[in-house]
Amino acid sequence: MIIKGGVVYDPANGIYGEEMDLCLEGGRIVEETGEKDVIDARGLMVMPGGVDAHSHIAGPKINSGRIMRPDDSRMGVEPRTGVCRPCTGYTVPNCYAIGYRYARMGYTTAFEAATPIIESRHTHEELEEIPILDKGALTLFGSNWTVMECVKENDLAKLAAYVAWGLKSSRGYGVKIVNPGGGEAWGFGANVKGLHDPVPNFDVTPAEIIKGLARANEMLRLPHSIHLHFNNLGKPGNYTTALETLDLLKDIKASRMRQVVHIAHMQFSAYGGTGWRDFDSKAPEIADYMNKNNHATMDLGQILFGSATTMTADAPLEYANARLLHQKWSNCDIELEESSGVVPIFYARMMPVNAIQWAIGLELALLTKDPWKVLLTTDNPNGSPFVNYPEVIALLMSQAKRAEEISRVHELVTKRTALPSIEREMDWSEIAIMTRSASARILGLEDKGHLGPGADADVAVYDIRPDEVDPSVDHALVKKAFTTARYTIKGGVLVARDGQIVAAPQGRTYWVDAEVPQADTERMMADLKDKFEKYYSVRLGNYMVQDEYLSRPQVVRAGTRARVEVAQ
Amino acid sequence: MRTITIRPALMDGVPVEAERITPDILAGLSLKEMEDLEAWHGNRRLRMADLFEISADSGPASPEETTLVLDGDFTPVKRIGEKMTAGLVEIRGSAGMHTGNNMRGGEIRIQGDAGDWLGREMKGGKILVKGSAGNYAGSGYRGEKCGMRGGEILVEGSAGAFLGEHLCGGSIRIGGDAGDFPGAMNQGGEIFIGGSAHLPGAEMTKGRIVVEGQARVLPSYQLQENVEMEGKSYQKLTGDLVENGKGELYIAL
Repeated sequence: MIIKGGVVYDPANGIYGEEMDLCLEGGRIVEETGEKDVIDARGLMVMPGGVDAHSHIAGPKINSGRIMRPDDSRMGVEPRTGVCRPCTGYTVPNCYAIGYRYARMGYTTAFEAATPIIESRHTHEELEEIPILDKGALTLFGSNWTVMECVKENDLAKLAAYVAWGLKSSRGYGVKIVNPGGGEAWGFGANVKGLHDPVPNFDVTPAEIIKGLARANEMLRLPHSIHLHFNNLGKPGNYTTALETLDLLKDIKASRMRQVVHIAHMQFSAYGGTGWRDFDSKAPEIADYMNKNNHATMDLGQILFGSATTMTADAPLEYANARLLHQKWSNCDIELEESSGVVPIFYARMMPVNAIQWAIGLELALLTKDPWKVLLTTDNPNGSPFVNYPEVIALLMSQAKRAEEISRVHELVTKRTALPSIEREMDWSEIAIMTRSASARILGLEDKGHLGPGADADVAVYDIRPDEVDPSVDHALVKKAFTTARYTIKGGVLVARDGQIVAAPQGRTYWVDAEVPQADTERMMADLKDKFEKYYSVRLGNYMVQDEYLSRPQVVRAGTRARVEVAQ
Repeated sequence: MRTITIRPALMDGVPVEAERITPDILAGLSLKEMEDLEAWHGNRRLRMADLFEISADSGPASPEETTLVLDGDFTPVKRIGEKMTAGLVEIRGSAGMHTGNNMRGGEIRIQGDAGDWLGREMKGGKILVKGSAGNYAGSGYRGEKCGMRGGEILVEGSAGAFLGEHLCGGSIRIGGDAGDFPGAMNQGGEIFIGGSAHLPGAEMTKGRIVVEGQARVLPSYQLQENVEMEGKSYQKLTGDLVENGKGELYIAL
């Protein structure tokens, strides 16, 4: 296939709006091809397929959301077509809808942000049912008993062995840490209050857990860094915890050309004030830190007004949400590994807290100078469903649109945030970085997020003529174009044309197989067997996700440094 | 004024989904266009003309000036008057489930009985029922936090269970008895029950419920003074204390 005459934005390869032809063959971008199939993209904007590095798309908690919200499922009903299976839902859509809706926006890859090892079969069963997309899942380690014991014993080799085993057991891609220690404390009706507040019965602190896992992550040379959801997330005044945690990781050396820590949904951790009454934005402080330091990246977790469903492995937070909002809620204790919760929410323009939250996300994006450090996400569906990414894009590209919105939200936004004074308007390249190139780089996906030869043939063609459109003025046009890609090509196959799904091939599932010295694994397994005998509700033999669960696995190899050197 | 008359033609017991039977959609259409509209008959998609016999006395008009006369038994027909904003729907018989769903204005008159979910999540307008209403009249559909928000439902007969569940506004008046749990999770609407009621106002936080007949009251209601309203004496109670509610419940003495 040849994509002819498009204006290509491929920031990873230093291409910022050049007219050129793209050749696709065998699911890859190639220098030239003999294929006759031509897509006419003359004058239109061409980008790599979108990559979402943090989204809740599969697993038990999104399914709890579906069960809890029959009211949501009737919000997005689409009947079956010749190609598509029927779709339902808006904030918690069914599996098929997730694949089709991402593809319509020009996205071709999405990563599930949190799955406990014991629930991973469920996660993969759902991932398998998501059409088109390439996907992967990050595995939760933050409140895991074995992790906390290894950290307490200061046995890094054993911890690395457990992380490697955990990734293999869950067929997971990376290390996710959610409110470290909090998930365990919640088993006793408590939470960890800060970085140095010990976890009940384990005598380790969140700071030690984070550092231990970060070191193990680098020991294993995993493609992605640790992916961290801060302690105290969602609470007024939590920006100090955020900065303190970031400082903690400053001296850890990355084992690859990437960040040491990726911060999930930073918007929820950039809060000032002592309570909801004097709640304000500390986004400028966070952005300032990000501008001065290079060891961390973040995604936005932008909220947008309207319906959303919060879901996280931070169970005490969800309990607090449920009390605060007087909403229906679910909470779950996940054996030795985590706890989690789900609460529906409606973000209202005239609600001061919601309006400020909305502004904080935009501030973070606009005040952080380097777009390679900030991903555009809504922490789908916590801040808003992913289908609203184009709204965020339009807001970032147009000060006029922001001013228009600010005039429609609660007036406290002008007093408690710096948003009204920010003049920056992002350009096409910056949007391309924040929605695909940086996401792929941060995740460590070498073949995604760019259009160089050898890259996956995932391409999005948008109905925008970059020379003619001024996004600052024509923001409605920008939003429309990003909502419905003219063409989405996944693995060299045209999957969506003008919002119509024309093909729904099965995507691949990424997971990381990290090698560790056999002796470490044996040492770790001896303890683990005992835990399964005593505490788990399943037997060790039934625990690991088998190969049958992944019809198209994409295994990424990693491992401890010594091993890799020998291999070279 | 335009009067459109619709009579059932194919009524074989299979449920029909006819959300297009509303003045908003039909008023501006020619007879041919109305006949070509789609409606689901079980799992089959049919034309309206296959299911109904449609006639109209004049050409297209505005919804405000349009009366739909539904002549016959419409029990299997669901979603009549969905999202209507103006005009009149007169049903000379019984209506099926979800009649007046999400209604915003106008009026629906039903000479027979109404099915379940009458006027669910309605925001305005008026529904009159000569017979009885089914379960969940004026309530929110599954999972919804807010049911009826405005408008009026008047039922001369009785109502089924969960009358006005999740009520957020508007008023419901029932001539006869109400079933189990009328006004559950009421957040600000008014319910008047001419007959008896079983466990009214469970988890009610705001709004009021008046019961003229016998009522079994939840233990989480607090007795207040007796009050006089329109020449009658009532026992006043407040609750539901389970939800720290400020709802008012009046039971005739």
